[in-house]
Amino acid sequence: MASTTIPPDVMIDLIKVSKTYPPEVQALVDVSLSIQRGEIVYLTGMSGAGKTTLLRLISRMEKPTKGMIDVAGFDLGKLPQRNMHLLRRKIGMAYQDFKLLPERTVADNIAIAMEVLYTPKRTMERRTRELLEQLDLSHKYATRAGELSRGEQQRVTIARAVANVPEIILADEPTGNLDGETTARVMDLFYRLNRKGSTLLIATHDTRLYRHDKDRVIELRFGRLQSAAQTRVIKAEDQPETTEIQEGL
Amino acid sequence: MRFLAVTFGHTMRNMLLTWKSQCMTLFTVSLSVLIFSFFYLVYANALQVSASLDDDLRLIVYLDEAPSPPMQAQYRSKILKFDQVEKIEFISSQDAYQRFEQALGTNADVLTGVPEDFLPPSIEVYPIRSLDSLSRIKRFSDYLQTLPGVLKVQYGKQWIDRFHSFIQLIRVVIILSGALLVMTTTFMVAHTIRLTLVSRQQELELLRLVGATNNYIRTPFLFEGALQGFIGAASGMGALLLLYNWIKLQFAGPATTTLPFTFLSWPVIGLLIGLATLLCILGSFSAIRRFTRL
Ligand SMILES: Nc1ncnc2c1ncn2[C@@H]1O[C@H](COP(=O)(O)OP(=O)(O)OP(=O)(O)O)[C@@H](O)[C@H]1O
Ligand SMILES: [Mg+2]
Repeated sequence: MASTTIPPDVMIDLIKVSKTYPPEVQALVDVSLSIQRGEIVYLTGMSGAGKTTLLRLISRMEKPTKGMIDVAGFDLGKLPQRNMHLLRRKIGMAYQDFKLLPERTVADNIAIAMEVLYTPKRTMERRTRELLEQLDLSHKYATRAGELSRGEQQRVTIARAVANVPEIILADEPTGNLDGETTARVMDLFYRLNRKGSTLLIATHDTRLYRHDKDRVIELRFGRLQSAAQTRVIKAEDQPETTEIQEGL
Repeated sequence: MRFLAVTFGHTMRNMLLTWKSQCMTLFTVSLSVLIFSFFYLVYANALQVSASLDDDLRLIVYLDEAPSPPMQAQYRSKILKFDQVEKIEFISSQDAYQRFEQALGTNADVLTGVPEDFLPPSIEVYPIRSLDSLSRIKRFSDYLQTLPGVLKVQYGKQWIDRFHSFIQLIRVVIILSGALLVMTTTFMVAHTIRLTLVSRQQELELLRLVGATNNYIRTPFLFEGALQGFIGAASGMGALLLLYNWIKLQFAGPATTTLPFTFLSWPVIGLLIGLATLLCILGSFSAIRRFTRL
């Protein structure tokens, strides 16, 4: 399949991607997936199913063992190291393990994503305050990241991921440590970014996140992507309260 | 502008993180520069002295009596038989006396009552100025000694010989200390920068993930190397200036107020500092090149 013919509105395109960790852990097997610009996609699956691996492949933190990956028009197999930043600037990722700098303040941890683009100091500060406000963390502006609770750290990694309003947002278990109200705030932020044009791929166990029928939910099982039909069935089983669809909009 | 501010911010943070080895590096760099430039200074001055030394190349042949003009012609032809020379000059007792008087200047009155012919007549032979004639000067002197009527032949022999071997030695020392300078500075700088890299590894990896360019990550380290080189070399030069003035004070008695020493010229100082800075940048470059290939 020729990757050059991919229409510009396909943001993420995986073709028969496999990832095997040494010695023989098959984290992903023949995954093909296409995500359009502006979509919100929920990636579910049991622990160890390969969700994080998939996100790491898309952000090129890891190379696939087999297959082709196209992200935001970059063929990742041909992207040289010196141009890596071009890809990374299109992607904001909230990591499952947060990847915060424990010795630096919350504000610094968020600003780091903007500083690499040489964003003016004042803009950086305004944006940081705005995000902290949205995520109910304003009072932690100058706290060292290492002193935060896990739920707070989770929100900081989300704030850093979205600070530049990237074209693609990859969120790995973004609400794993959050209560209902804070989860709503995070989702609110995601929806707003989506309206601004960001494409979202959210790996999650949290069934509360994808109640809407129009939401696209995909499932990984032992590294294999389930067909859409199968996923629908599972979803229906898991969620009796499908009546809330209309309200949610 | 923003680029500079961000780069400088990173550099400062790096240097604070590893300030102990930063100090060590600065010390090493300045010491290496001091050693190297000290020998270079000695060499430069030695060269200058040797340039003003040309007069001492002449051979003075003292005679028992003033030669008559035909004798002079004979002497001349005998001298020329040995070698081509630049100049041959016959000095009578009176000429010698006058020169001496002039050389004494205001102190000439010590000569009152001394007979004008107390200095022997002499022939001054100026060999052609080349290293070749310099090396044959001993044989020349031996030859002149055999001429009739010669009391004694004099030249600044030991002085000149020693001085030339001294200059040779200094040259070797300069090359060695230059090699030392190159090795210590690049090694030390590379070492400290590697320390900084390790202590910031987590952050550097994160920077890559959030879209920092290679230059964004590298420039602060190159800047750090340049700063270490510049500050280290400049303080090494400062130390050399202090040392130079101290030595000058030690030598400067009232009698010899005009020592022929000079300090390094500004272009040379600039060149040495620039070279040291460049070396340190190279050191840091070698350290980050291996590291930043993630
Ligand atoms: N660096 C690695 N080296 C070896 N095996 C790995 C590595 N990373 C992941 N794996 C394996 O790959 C499989 C998929 O892991 P992955 O982290 O993608 O799962 P996940 O779906 O994100 O799980 P969770 O929901 O618990 O976060 C697991 O079996 C895991 O042990
Ligand atoms: Mg995971």
